[in-house]
Amino acid sequence: MSMLRGFLLLILFLLVGESLSFMLDWPISGSVIGMITLTTWLMLRGHVSQDLVAASQPLIAFLTMLIMPGVVGVFFLGAQLAGQWLAIAISLIVGTLLSVLTTLLLMNRFTRAVSESESHD
Amino acid sequence: MTDLALRWQTLPAHLADTPLLSTALTLFAFMLGARLFQVIKQPGWCPPILIASSLLALLIWVLPIGYQDYYQGAAWLMLLLGPATVALGVPLYQQFHHIRALWRPVLITLPPAAMLAAAYSVALAWWLGASPNVVASLAPKSVTAPIALGITEQIGGSASLMMGGLLITGVVATLAISLLAPRLGVTDERVIGFTLGVNGHAIGTVRAFEISAAAGAFASLGMGLTGIFTAIFLPIAWQLLAFPMP
Repeated sequence: MSMLRGFLLLILFLLVGESLSFMLDWPISGSVIGMITLTTWLMLRGHVSQDLVAASQPLIAFLTMLIMPGVVGVFFLGAQLAGQWLAIAISLIVGTLLSVLTTLLLMNRFTRAVSESESHD
Repeated sequence: MTDLALRWQTLPAHLADTPLLSTALTLFAFMLGARLFQVIKQPGWCPPILIASSLLALLIWVLPIGYQDYYQGAAWLMLLLGPATVALGVPLYQQFHHIRALWRPVLITLPPAAMLAAAYSVALAWWLGASPNVVASLAPKSVTAPIALGITEQIGGSASLMMGGLLITGVVATLAISLLAPRLGVTDERVIGFTLGVNGHAIGTVRAFEISAAAGAFASLGMGLTGIFTAIFLPIAWQLLAFPMP
């Protein structure tokens, strides 16, 4: 029952997120609002129940499996995108390499600045 | 006897009408992918999701079912993405002390990082002559699937190509970090985790949890924030740049 109770809690937060997203007409999906609401709720409570851990751990472990039905569709697009595959591949691969490089450098620089200022205190 | 033979012939079509076959194929491919990943000694350049998706595509192609039939049966799995995304709130809370210590670098890095994650690829695709539809499909490539699907509804593009872009982006982001982080001398797991989440969405986040709980929490944070930021910023950018919207 523990895992089921946790799953129900996750669904309830998803419902809250979905309702907020709809009512306020936000472009953010209900699941992300649910995630933020859950984190906020846990912080106010100060601890996380075993139920919630039991339900969330397997779901997080299988996160990539859950996108597989959509992702695998790319293997069946072939003819529709004839002539554009090279542009798609280059922009995805080079674009991602560049953006990873940028994020790493920015985040590393600012994190170091914080660590250094802390060590000066 | 002929009745039985006839039924045997129509069995694949019957099973393809139920979610059973598609679900079994997905679980099987995912587990086999994870297994093969262990066997080939967990290479950073080939995450389990890439092996699993290729296997799944091969299975669908070999079996007498089409991708559309498969997708109809397996689509319910994607519904679980909702509760799974909410579940990321748990590690986020558990690792919150780490995040509190770095809230300033996180908030400064996020806007340029999330904007550039989309902008580099959009600019490259545009420059290489991709159609507006393709450019729109690639724009949400670093955003977690439930939000990315919403963005595609707003700015247009093909959902299948967008999801394929997610796969390639997640795989390349994972690979790029294992290549670049040591060369740039970045060893801070919080920085590596955040970079994985911002650029590699769920695929990067799963990789970050393999590194450590702290890296996973920073990846969840990066993924969530990138999703929120991009969902707001991309439709506005599309309007400003006067790209065609549906």
